[in-house]
Amino acid sequence: MSSVLEVDELSVSFAGEDGRMTTVVDKVSFKIGTGRTLGIVGESGCGKSVTSLAIMGLLDPASASVSGTVTFEGIDLRRESESRLRDLRGDRMAMIFQEPMTSLNPSHTVGAQIVEAIQRHRALSRKDAEARALEALRQVSIPSPETRFHDYPHRLSGGMRQRVMIAMALSCDPKLVIADEPTTALDVTIQAQILDLLRRLRDDTGAAIMLITHDLGVVAEVCEDVLVMYAGEVVERASVGTLFRAPQHPYTVGLMGAIPRMAERKPRLATIEGSVPNMRALPAGCRFSPRCPFADAQCRTMPPPIREVEAGHTTRCWKAPLESLVA
Amino acid sequence: MIGLLARRLLQLIPTIFLVSVIIFSLQHLLPGDPALIMAGEEKDPEVIAQIRAQYHLDQPIVLQYLYWVKGVFVGDLGESMRLKQPISELIAQKLPVTLQLASMAMVIALVIGVGMGVLSAVKKGTGWDAAANLFALWGISTPNFWLGIMMIFLFSVQLGWLPASGFVSPFENLSQSLKASIMPAFVLGNSIAGVLMRHTRGAMLQALQSDYVRTARAKGLHEPRVVLHHAMRNALTPIITLGALEFGTLLSGAVLTEQIFSIPGFGKLIVDAVLNRDYAVVQGVVLVTSAVYIVLNLLADIGYILANPRLRA
Repeated sequence: MSSVLEVDELSVSFAGEDGRMTTVVDKVSFKIGTGRTLGIVGESGCGKSVTSLAIMGLLDPASASVSGTVTFEGIDLRRESESRLRDLRGDRMAMIFQEPMTSLNPSHTVGAQIVEAIQRHRALSRKDAEARALEALRQVSIPSPETRFHDYPHRLSGGMRQRVMIAMALSCDPKLVIADEPTTALDVTIQAQILDLLRRLRDDTGAAIMLITHDLGVVAEVCEDVLVMYAGEVVERASVGTLFRAPQHPYTVGLMGAIPRMAERKPRLATIEGSVPNMRALPAGCRFSPRCPFADAQCRTMPPPIREVEAGHTTRCWKAPLESLVA
Repeated sequence: MIGLLARRLLQLIPTIFLVSVIIFSLQHLLPGDPALIMAGEEKDPEVIAQIRAQYHLDQPIVLQYLYWVKGVFVGDLGESMRLKQPISELIAQKLPVTLQLASMAMVIALVIGVGMGVLSAVKKGTGWDAAANLFALWGISTPNFWLGIMMIFLFSVQLGWLPASGFVSPFENLSQSLKASIMPAFVLGNSIAGVLMRHTRGAMLQALQSDYVRTARAKGLHEPRVVLHHAMRNALTPIITLGALEFGTLLSGAVLTEQIFSIPGFGKLIVDAVLNRDYAVVQGVVLVTSAVYIVLNLLADIGYILANPRLRA
């Protein structure tokens, strides 16, 4: 399986007010194969959005320092010039953001914003670009696209705007789409529609999707592989089936306990005790140890390495496999 | 859009009425009897009575107001008691001067202020930003009369490049006209540029941090397009507001600057009129100035609608 995107030991640090660097993404590595969907899951502040912005090269170099390699279709993005990156962005790699309400420019029509993306990357006449933009709007099932084309974003609902964002992202047939919490700001029914749309478009276009979310339910719906992040690190990675069947990191187990289910009525949802650690004062050992029910002296003093518990299933936990603990 | 404009125009009617009443009554609240002043040294009661009758000063105040309004409608703003000249004629002489000066000052202010504001927002935290902020501070804190005198000293006295004073109509001699008004226009524009720069910078910084700018960058757009087409477009509102206000201030006359450069503009006209209790002239000038403000406000409103599609409901 050839991979569209390979991220190797990607780290991102930001300079604080006092000049001290805080590492918010710590040596994150993963691959996404052609036409595959990788979900990246974690609480807010775990570094998943920063990871996606770093891949796109959208972090402000004045405040963020990035290291590691990002290889997209064989191109080492971190070594490419800004102008080459600009050529790739919106063309072969595209991004969908969390906030459809604010991610579209309020001063330009929906159509103009899509046409702009197309004309940036394709030498098309205005008329052809408009035809293509209309096609993209149709592709994301926007009703009466000819009318919507001339509308300003404020006339559209959140779900419609997110469809427009997706149409824009897909307008140049990208090989990789990074979707950063694309459904978080939307109503539940709209969420399902948008996820459905993403799945359909992946099947139609063969683009690889990197789906960032805090919702394991979304992952189960659309993804094939999952990466669980905690406090800037990857703590577990597996295929969706494996992860839901046999999670091997206590944090993942905790996240699953936090999903409400219709079938089993619990008096109260399971929660993970404590809160996300301060990235400027991380625990000495395992970053999850202060919140982990299984943590012992070793966990609190030594950071666990990534270990493979079975083929294609890795975890960053001293206690894995966890079955031994339950037994 | 047209409905919105019609509504704005209708709203002007009560505004104009109120403004005219205020202008008219303020004059009558001031102490001093204009008839006595005009009558001269002797204060002959017969002459005073005649003046009162001629200027309707013996009529009830409501009638006086109506006479005045009626005059305004036919372009008759009365006559200057001091200069014995129709006020509309005086204004017609001074307004083009002030208009030229104000327009040039505004162009200078917009080019420098908006240009520097955008630059400093894009280059935030760099030497460019620091330089632009320093310039803004200079512009805001430099008194016009001081800058005017310094410029005359440097460019007229020392270098001899520009005339120190006076005004030449552009229809007479364009290059001479520009030469004569570039210094006062710069002095006036300089202080406005500082304020405009600060506001532009603030609005641009906010726009550049917005999600839609991130989207524009994610589309692979070139930075100039991101800045001008996406960020700038949304930062226009404060620039329009401030621009219209400052332009209005300029059009009501720049007293000090006109004095320094001996420019026969609005500022001098109104100061002379006030000092000599030339009531009718003050009324006429203030009326024209108010009209200018009202028109500029209307233009600003139209500007908002053009810049912000959300207002085109």
